[in-house]
Amino acid sequence: MPALNNEIDIDKQRILNRIGYSDDYEPSARINSLVDDYIENYHDLIAPSYSYRIRNIESVDGNRIDIGNSLVLESRKLGSLLERCEMVAVFALTIGNYLEDLVAYLAENGLVLQATVLDAIGSGTAEKLAVQIEGKIRIIAGIAGMVASWRFSPGYCDWEVSQQELLFRALDGDTTGIKLTDSMLMIPRKSVSGIIGIGLPGNDIENYNPCNTCLKKDCPGRRR
Amino acid sequence: MSEDILNQLKENVIQGRKTRDDMGIDETLSGTPGVLELTESALRNNISPEAIIKQALTPGMDVVGEKFSTKEYFIPDMLASADAVGAAMDILKPLLEESKVETKGKFVIATVKGDIHDIGKNIVAILLKGAGYQVNDIGIDVPEDKIINTVREEQPDYLGLSALLTTTMTEMDVVIKALKENNLRDKVKVLIGGAAVSDDYAKEIGADAYCTDGFQAIKLLEEFKAA
Repeated sequence: MPALNNEIDIDKQRILNRIGYSDDYEPSARINSLVDDYIENYHDLIAPSYSYRIRNIESVDGNRIDIGNSLVLESRKLGSLLERCEMVAVFALTIGNYLEDLVAYLAENGLVLQATVLDAIGSGTAEKLAVQIEGKIRIIAGIAGMVASWRFSPGYCDWEVSQQELLFRALDGDTTGIKLTDSMLMIPRKSVSGIIGIGLPGNDIENYNPCNTCLKKDCPGRRR
Repeated sequence: MSEDILNQLKENVIQGRKTRDDMGIDETLSGTPGVLELTESALRNNISPEAIIKQALTPGMDVVGEKFSTKEYFIPDMLASADAVGAAMDILKPLLEESKVETKGKFVIATVKGDIHDIGKNIVAILLKGAGYQVNDIGIDVPEDKIINTVREEQPDYLGLSALLTTTMTEMDVVIKALKENNLRDKVKVLIGGAAVSDDYAKEIGADAYCTDGFQAIKLLEEFKAA
């Protein structure tokens, strides 16, 4: 479970977006000050770590992707990507539980504004870490003369969240401290898991986006 | 004098200033007493808790709601106001109980079993509290039997159920069925909310209403009362 650099560059505008402000709205001095204060100090509240494994893709048959050791991912849209790939990187990352413990404490004590801002910073941090992992996998793929896809997580698109358990098994027990609830959600909550396809250039792997052909135009997870 | 304090109180609710140290929305009231100090001052001047709520806190939150609906205010702004009103209600609650003034109603709220998301629920809870409801937030990942027991023991007027995921929203259906089995369904109005659910889903499972946000929940509760 390697530790990651916790000097993560948080984009303040993204945090403001997460708590409901549109790009063209300047928050009040109070909210600005609160967000600035948390961005200045949140590093002490995170303990980022991650785990990943790169596995060969044994076969792809429609929505069934066999990644060895009796692990079969099930998603038609993932199948469309991974049938072009040689390997798949399975990953999980977390920012630890200190930040969310403080969020819970703030909320329990009626400081819901503060809890909401800090929660948004936690989500933004986990998101940034996921981008770092994507970058690492891209570099590893590049060294092997290959390219990497975007990341995909269980619970999005047609990939059932119940497959989270299988994804964690693919990490060979190194779940970097993340535990799954009975409903397959991750604890700590500010964690991200998923897969990244790896394959030879020229197969439209790097920019594969199932949202382009999806009819659910109002999907909150839609990527452009 | 009384009117003066109540007007200041209302203005501070709109500015979301809980205490003297709070900047507020536009800093025009910086350094002056906030909602907590003004609530205490109002009580010292023998203004009744009921008048504080009806003439200052509630009208202040009404303005905040209007500003939120016209996008002059955003979620953090209304949270600051609701937080300030919630803190004032904590001071007033024992006095209201003493004087047997009834709250607007009792509201139990929970994120259903299997779901651990709570920010949306927390926002709704604090807005309801700010609007004068007695709120018991029983947490996240709450199993159906705990919800049933709470409804049986506390006899709330309203039950709010939250779920963010399509995989966990089905638990709302389980809770409503259990309310029926325990002869409690007609004793409590059930409101549902969360990213996964919809008006159609509320109808499908027999909930009384689906709410898109906390202000809509408050509006619906007023409509229930008026009906």
